Amino acid sequence: MQELQAEHKKRITPKRPRDYLCWAAAIAVVAALVYTTVTNENYGWPVVFSYFTTDAIIEGLLLTLVLTVVSMALGIVLGLLLAVMRMSHQAPISGLATLYITFFRGTPVLVQLIFWFNIAALYPNVSIGVPFTDISTPVDVNALMTPLTAAIVGLTLNEAAYMAEIIRGGFASVNRGQYEAADSLGMTGFTRLRHVIIPQTMPAIIPATGNQVIGMLKGTSLVSVLGVAELLNSAQSIYARTYQTIPLLIVASLWYLIMTLALSVPQSMIERRFSRSTRRPAAVATATKESLL
Amino acid sequence: MKADGTIVARKLCKSFGSHQVLRGIDLTVAAGEISCIIGPSGSGKSTLLRCVNGLETVDRGVLRVNGEDFGYVEKDDAYHAVSPQRLAEQRSRVGMVFQQFNLFPNMTAESNVMSGPVLVKKVDRKVARERAQELLAQVGLAGCGHKYPAQLSGGQQQRVAIARALAMDPSIMLFDEPTSALDPELVGEVLAVMRDLAHHGMTMLLVTHEMAFARDVADEVLFMDEGVAVERGDAREVLANPREKRTQEFLERVL
Repeated sequence: MQELQAEHKKRITPKRPRDYLCWAAAIAVVAALVYTTVTNENYGWPVVFSYFTTDAIIEGLLLTLVLTVVSMALGIVLGLLLAVMRMSHQAPISGLATLYITFFRGTPVLVQLIFWFNIAALYPNVSIGVPFTDISTPVDVNALMTPLTAAIVGLTLNEAAYMAEIIRGGFASVNRGQYEAADSLGMTGFTRLRHVIIPQTMPAIIPATGNQVIGMLKGTSLVSVLGVAELLNSAQSIYARTYQTIPLLIVASLWYLIMTLALSVPQSMIERRFSRSTRRPAAVATATKESLL
Repeated sequence: MKADGTIVARKLCKSFGSHQVLRGIDLTVAAGEISCIIGPSGSGKSTLLRCVNGLETVDRGVLRVNGEDFGYVEKDDAYHAVSPQRLAEQRSRVGMVFQQFNLFPNMTAESNVMSGPVLVKKVDRKVARERAQELLAQVGLAGCGHKYPAQLSGGQQQRVAIARALAMDPSIMLFDEPTSALDPELVGEVLAVMRDLAHHGMTMLLVTHEMAFARDVADEVLFMDEGVAVERGDAREVLANPREKRTQEFLERVL
């Protein structure tokens, strides 16, 4: 009977001192942070709340969103073009794309933004025209390159370089056998691309693009140096008047945090759906709607 | 358009860089004939097979598939490459089954089988779906049409791949080591489908290591080594009484 009882005994891993110690340490850190944020009046929480939804801040917030959407959309289009060029069998074409990507990924965005803002110093007058005709329009670059234009141009051109690499990576992830199988059925280039290859690039491209969107949202704060009244710049304009620097930086930070958290929910759903996509092909099919078949 | 289901190769040569993979191969497969290519790895068997539907280009020699020059047209000075559309059209009459199946993972089994007829031949989707269901039943996979390749076993995937190739109504079927990537217990089901196909008079050219299958089903065997056709003849004859020393050595090792 002794042995039968032993078979029924539960197995327990006793808690060790270090398990409690970790909890104690974490609680202590959080408690200290809470204590200081509540008691230190320099945080200026009443100021934070009073400015949180003020017109200037909301307008800045909207401009941040517009900049993110526009630069991202244009960046994806240009990135696709660059990726196609980069994958070209024509060495000069792929060389041009490589040069572009190397340059834009190898220099800081902040420098690029300031550069575009000052491009008129390099090319004061450009004329746009139809080659071999008299039709042409002179363009005053200085007037054209407003802070907002420079911001969109700078963010777009930089984003395109990163998107090009993401898209290229997506295509590289498709097995060569897939091209051969499509060829052996007699599919021509476009059909093969549209129905076989592109759907299979999506599991690699979509989650990475989601990350880029979140990065872009935060990256737009850089254009504040050009005087574009986006979220950070709007906060700066207020504290330049009121000297309430910290409370207004908190306002901006909280808005950035809210927006990135809002984006990270769909992002993590997308990532879960596309993870190990070869084992979960239904996700690929539904994501691309598998329209024709 | 004649598609008589014949393959004729004369003095076929192919190099990858400085490495000569095919060194003047001759091959004749008559309509309805089953021909097996055997030989050690790296002997050029797969390359030869892949040339027959243009997955590899030929450097020199004559290659006629379905009674016409494949991928090129002969002119006075040289063979000129045909347009991509013409090549695709020629390929669509030659079915190919790969070692790694190469099913489209973004499509169900049924959509895989329908993909050729719908996307290439522009067959009405309803007609193509009915035909796909017939073909899936023919390879013993009735009712599996809604499944994705990842939900099927290797043997099932390869049978879907065969159905997909058959959906184009090819006059020739090529098999590139169709059972080499399969677990041993799944080999039989794929060979059964191929055997069934052979009995229905399909012209078949296959690279295989299944000597028993070659002996039972094949009309002719071609033994290749280092890019050369060492021995060619009646399947049972070559496998039972090989004349060449290299063939004897190879068969001793694999049998």
